[in-house]
Amino acid sequence: MRGTVSRVVSIGLMLAIIFTVGSCSKPEQAAKDVELSMFQLKVEIKDAIDGYAAKYSAATPGVTMKVETLGGGGDYGGALKAKSQAGQMPDIFVIEGLGGYNIWKDYIADLSGESWVKDTDLAMKVDGKVVGFPVAIEGYGLAYNADILSKAGIDPASLTTRAAYEKAFATLASKKVELGIDAPVAMAASVAGGMWWVAAQHNLACYWGGGLAFDDTSVIDKALKGELDEARFAQYAKYLQLLFKYADQNILLNGSYDDQVGSFAQGKTAFLHQGNWVDPNLKQLGVTFKIGYAPHAFLDTEEKGLYLFAPSWYCVNSKSPNAAAAKAFLTAMATTPDGHDYMVNKAGMIPAFKSVTLKPAGQLSQALMAANAKGGNYGVFFGMLPDGAGQNVFGPIFDLFAQNQKNLDRFIDDMKKAVAGLPKM
Amino acid sequence: MKRNRAVNILFTFPCVFAFTMIILIPFFYGLFYSMTDWNGVSEDIHFIGFKNFRYLFSSPDFLYSFLITIGYTAINIVLVNVVSFMLSLIVTSRIRFRNFYRAGFFIPYLIGGIVLGYIWQFIFNNALTAIGDSLSIQALQVSFLSKPGTVIWIMSVVNTWQYAGYIMLIYVASIQSIPASLMEAAAVDGANYITRVFKILIPMMANAFTISLFLTLTTSFKQFDMNLTLTNGGPATRFMEMPVKASQLLAMNIFSTATANRMAEAQAKAVVLFVALVVVALIQVSMNKKKEVEM
Repeated sequence: MRGTVSRVVSIGLMLAIIFTVGSCSKPEQAAKDVELSMFQLKVEIKDAIDGYAAKYSAATPGVTMKVETLGGGGDYGGALKAKSQAGQMPDIFVIEGLGGYNIWKDYIADLSGESWVKDTDLAMKVDGKVVGFPVAIEGYGLAYNADILSKAGIDPASLTTRAAYEKAFATLASKKVELGIDAPVAMAASVAGGMWWVAAQHNLACYWGGGLAFDDTSVIDKALKGELDEARFAQYAKYLQLLFKYADQNILLNGSYDDQVGSFAQGKTAFLHQGNWVDPNLKQLGVTFKIGYAPHAFLDTEEKGLYLFAPSWYCVNSKSPNAAAAKAFLTAMATTPDGHDYMVNKAGMIPAFKSVTLKPAGQLSQALMAANAKGGNYGVFFGMLPDGAGQNVFGPIFDLFAQNQKNLDRFIDDMKKAVAGLPKM
Repeated sequence: MKRNRAVNILFTFPCVFAFTMIILIPFFYGLFYSMTDWNGVSEDIHFIGFKNFRYLFSSPDFLYSFLITIGYTAINIVLVNVVSFMLSLIVTSRIRFRNFYRAGFFIPYLIGGIVLGYIWQFIFNNALTAIGDSLSIQALQVSFLSKPGTVIWIMSVVNTWQYAGYIMLIYVASIQSIPASLMEAAAVDGANYITRVFKILIPMMANAFTISLFLTLTTSFKQFDMNLTLTNGGPATRFMEMPVKASQLLAMNIFSTATANRMAEAQAKAVVLFVALVVVALIQVSMNKKKEVEM
């Protein structure tokens, strides 16, 4: 008797559990208000964008904006795929280039008619259609510590050719003790430290776009067909070899992002190969010295521009019923004073919109903004490469060259083979 | 009896349900996707047969990962089992504080692979190189993690440090289940300690070896988390005239293929990993089983 009772009770409990689990996944009643969802990958602006979303929700009756952030070490692409498979595709999401566009094109709405399109040069366009809202301008050159350079008697304005760099690096290397530096350059190329992108993505971008007009993609177009411009690449390889030779070897072969940026912030290196996104890190590390950007001048001829690009774009989910409200949110970000305040003052980004008059606080961001106003800069096109080309193909090649720096011909050979393999990827 | 059967079914249902939903169905989906050109999102999926598999066996990075995984597994099986067997002998002897040692050796197993990878990365990249610099020992000045030749060994050392305590417990349990009379009889007959270990202890523990070898084999073959945080696949090395990542084990190779949106190719690699693992594990278990004795 007793056994039967407990059996019945346990079965009952089990069924209860099964049914509660089942009922959890029932959709909630559709709210009257529009609930917009955004999924983005810049961890460093999480608080700023949450704040702006709350402000926007309060100011816009009938719309509630929710932002979810996953990035840094997180696998944003994987998470977005999981969301789409689960039928929870956000209204606004992020892509990082043509590779992302090709994956998500079924979900990407046409934004050509939006009012902010005329206000920017960096909107993502495919076949003449605007498909992405530029999140920010990012960019880089070779950042220098002005104090160390002036102590060594080097004028940063003179650094416009490879020969000038060679001379400057040699001078710095000969005065290491007196300047208190470990090495002239903080450069990173290691797969192990997760820093392949500095060399194999950002530095290689000099070869794709350096010295050409801002939207000239001829070199990378050729590469996508499997062809390397050998004369040009030979000059580039010599420049890379120079950077490797005068780099702090431990940071180059092993270092993490923190090692690289930390060494520059402590005045242990005079140059840093990083973009303006290090501004907040440098502030955190208490940097007080003056910083500027010199161009990556790898050609035999003079180069004076910096490399500017939009690293990512917001896309509107075309399959969402809230697409119109999502477009309105992006337009407000680009056109209202609140939106400008959020992008520049709260998130510390350089907006890609010309009508924004606010100035960012970081020294490198200011240098980029000045360069942008002056013009004559170069485009960054690694986003046009097939997915995984940077990490899985070029990354190991650059790492290997950093290990065997004397072997220039081998490096050029490896790259020739890798580029020849691009069309098949 | 009929009622009992209903109860049986009800009680196994949650387990069978979960197993079907989480293991079985995804497994067959996976087999299907490995023969398509799926990118993870597109609804436009084409069946391409064994093209992915043919591509795999001609791509140097995958072949290298496969070989290096076999090497890593072989090193691990020997290292982990030798170390943990010796530890188990120590903590079952009359040594003082043996319970303290048991707990101590086991603790590394409780640290997650991610954290552990970062800790050891710091030790190899920063601590050891700093010691090398201050004492001017040249061998230590360049991190072991940045030498393509040593990196797999270093990973095995770290894995042994983590895993030996766990395997040790299996050996300890097995040693304690052997009747003391057997060892005493051998001692009376004049067998010394070494002889007793090799002639009595080890043959009596054969089932413990089966399970320990199986565990070390499968965990090494599937190693991922520590691989990702300790070495991230680096440094680069050259294989079949192509630059590849020197410490990228199979699981990580699959991961980086998948995160590059080459889902079908990654799935094909996962199928290869599955088949290899099943074959190797079956051979190992059947060979070990032959050596087991009934008590």
